[in-house]
Amino acid sequence: MAKWGMVIDLNKCTGCGACVNACRIENNIPNVGEEEAQAGRALDWMQIITEYEGEFPDVRVTHIPRPCFQCDNPPCTKVCPVHATYLNEDGLVGQVYYRCIGCRFCMAACPYSAKKFNYYAPEIPESYQVIRNPDVTRRMKGVVEKCSFCHHRLSLAKDLARFENRDLREEDYQPACVESCPADAMTFGDLENPDHKVATLIHSSRAYRLEEELGTDPKVYYLKKEDK
Amino acid sequence: MTDSPTRPGGFIFFLQVLSISLIWVLVVSVITWILNLISLSHYLHDAQNATLAISLVVLPIFTLLASVLTYVFVGLRKHQE
Amino acid sequence: MMEDLRKDPDYTLFRPILESDRRFYWAVAFLGAVVLWALALYIRQLIYGLGVTGLNRTVTWGFYIINFVFFIGVSHAGTLISAILRLSQAEWRRPITRMAEVITAIVLAIGGLHPIIDLGRPDRVLNVFYYGRLQSPLLWDVTAISLYFTASTVYLYVPMIPDIALLRDRTTKFKKFYTWLSWGYVGTERQKHILERAMTILMVVVIPVAVSVHTVISYIFSMTLQSGWHSTIFGPYFVTGAIFSGTATLLVVMIFFRKFYHLENYLKEIHFRYLSVLLLVFALLWGYFTFSEYLTGIYGNEPMEMRVIRFKISGAYAPYFWMMVICNFVIPVIILSFKKLKRIPGILIASISVIIGMWLERLIIIVPSLSNPRLPVVSEPYVPSLTEWSLFAGGVAAFCLMFLLFSKLFPLISIWEIKEGRAEGLEAVHQRLESYLPDTPAVQEGV
Repeated sequence: MAKWGMVIDLNKCTGCGACVNACRIENNIPNVGEEEAQAGRALDWMQIITEYEGEFPDVRVTHIPRPCFQCDNPPCTKVCPVHATYLNEDGLVGQVYYRCIGCRFCMAACPYSAKKFNYYAPEIPESYQVIRNPDVTRRMKGVVEKCSFCHHRLSLAKDLARFENRDLREEDYQPACVESCPADAMTFGDLENPDHKVATLIHSSRAYRLEEELGTDPKVYYLKKEDK
Repeated sequence: MTDSPTRPGGFIFFLQVLSISLIWVLVVSVITWILNLISLSHYLHDAQNATLAISLVVLPIFTLLASVLTYVFVGLRKHQE
Repeated sequence: MMEDLRKDPDYTLFRPILESDRRFYWAVAFLGAVVLWALALYIRQLIYGLGVTGLNRTVTWGFYIINFVFFIGVSHAGTLISAILRLSQAEWRRPITRMAEVITAIVLAIGGLHPIIDLGRPDRVLNVFYYGRLQSPLLWDVTAISLYFTASTVYLYVPMIPDIALLRDRTTKFKKFYTWLSWGYVGTERQKHILERAMTILMVVVIPVAVSVHTVISYIFSMTLQSGWHSTIFGPYFVTGAIFSGTATLLVVMIFFRKFYHLENYLKEIHFRYLSVLLLVFALLWGYFTFSEYLTGIYGNEPMEMRVIRFKISGAYAPYFWMMVICNFVIPVIILSFKKLKRIPGILIASISVIIGMWLERLIIIVPSLSNPRLPVVSEPYVPSLTEWSLFAGGVAAFCLMFLLFSKLFPLISIWEIKEGRAEGLEAVHQRLESYLPDTPAVQEGV
């Protein structure tokens, strides 16, 4: 069984935000409007966290793109009262929008703030209808959502591979954010398959995971930013 | 059946029996609910031990509460003399 | 019949049921208006979604969960105090137990509704029954609260049967209603025995259930990995806080109804003094738990933990934190330690300050941990909206309203227990006291 994971090279990331936008379009993420975004209710699944170190003028800025980490030991699925978020057979943390009761316990339990809540019914402007992705479920008011590693792409890739009677190749399944990264900072693949690039990258001396000590076992690795 | 304030018959007695049955309806529905959760946890292989342990604590107490109420109801009616 | 009743030494206890004055109707109208206002705002929230609250991306739990923990906490004292006092055969319990039990039943019903108010999809609440997972602490809550509600309602009802029978026999109002509820009680020896046996079983059952409920509520927080929540003392800390706020509420309710229904003859200063000792003990216990909780955090100096603690004691929530310490510890300890201040006005001030302080404690526990997520994501400050304030006011008003209505249907002080105390109390206490005292040794001859 494949263990899908992502490696993000913080040396290469410029914080341009292409991944955030690609994710919005791919996953039909509604625009909540300026006022709501100011109130801290933006729904972006991919979020760029900016870390500042040091005092002005010697500031070191690190941009950390943060999707859902698809933990192998997810704290969020344990607390869900209705089995609306769960670890699926692909090792990804699934979210069932039609079952979620909106208690937001998983949001409180997620140490990475990866989950988002639909405070209002999503409004999608007329002009957005053309770029709407039919593969991704529209969320409704009052449910929790989060990054799915573009799970719909995996389903599609699996179907294709079965149809062509072959194994899944590395390039068959890439989430939208990885595909869109202009700096080539993100790499995606099977963490346990030595043929995939990610499997070698996670053994790099720069590789680390966020809040690893919590024992959540995230499947997103970062390559540490180094001073040059 | 005699109809007096201390030993009501007819409609009020019916209401009394109804209210005592309601607590049993509650107990039976709680049992059904918990059994459903146990079967669900087996089906999904999801925390079966915890489910069983919690059920073993909860169900006897609910049953005990309903039994105490029934005991009081039957006892009060029986020992009026 | 009425003339006969007026001659009863305990006529004062029947009076609220038989007559209502204008103050009562005004109070009901006002409280009803507040409840209706809250209901209207809740319907608005149902239509528009939780966006009408002040919640945001990181602070996902706010007033509703704070009030949930607070109300369930208040519900604690009632049944627990009544069961402990009855079990220990404290004679002074007689006028207190009923009010304590009523608080529990009413506040539990209101508190239990709060998680549903908090849901984003209340229309799917039945999913908890179809697809529930007993692994989730939320399900522990559902089971524990429904169990506690059933137990405390039964525990309120069974000791009330003799009083309902009294009302059935001696008043003309709601005759059918009382006949229905009195279950044919006439007061024979066997019937008394049955009731006593049932009450003993219920007391023993209700104490562990009560303790478990608040422990389980604390588990909602302590089972997560959030800094500030992931603590082993949360169970007992919450239970202590719950009994603390519940005792304070009981004292306020007793002082209010003493005045409102002229119960000075039944609720004497001694009752308030005894109960305020309990309040003082719990103020000290609360101080001890808070001290241990924060000292271990500060001494360990784990960066994430420290960030939350700093946010509480010197950051944005410092005013609330120190206000909580003053309300929960400084004021009650000062007032209740001095005999001169320990009169009814002093006790009232201490109790109200404890209620405010315990509400602040729930705020201090829930919001700062959520405003300081582990990753440095931007966290907007949580500002509760009008809807949240109104629903809070509505909850409090609903409690007062239901309490007032209850007092018009059933006596707030257990009449049969008072009568029993008059008839048998002195004798029983005398006998009991003799059984404690060491026997006087017979003078031995020839020594």
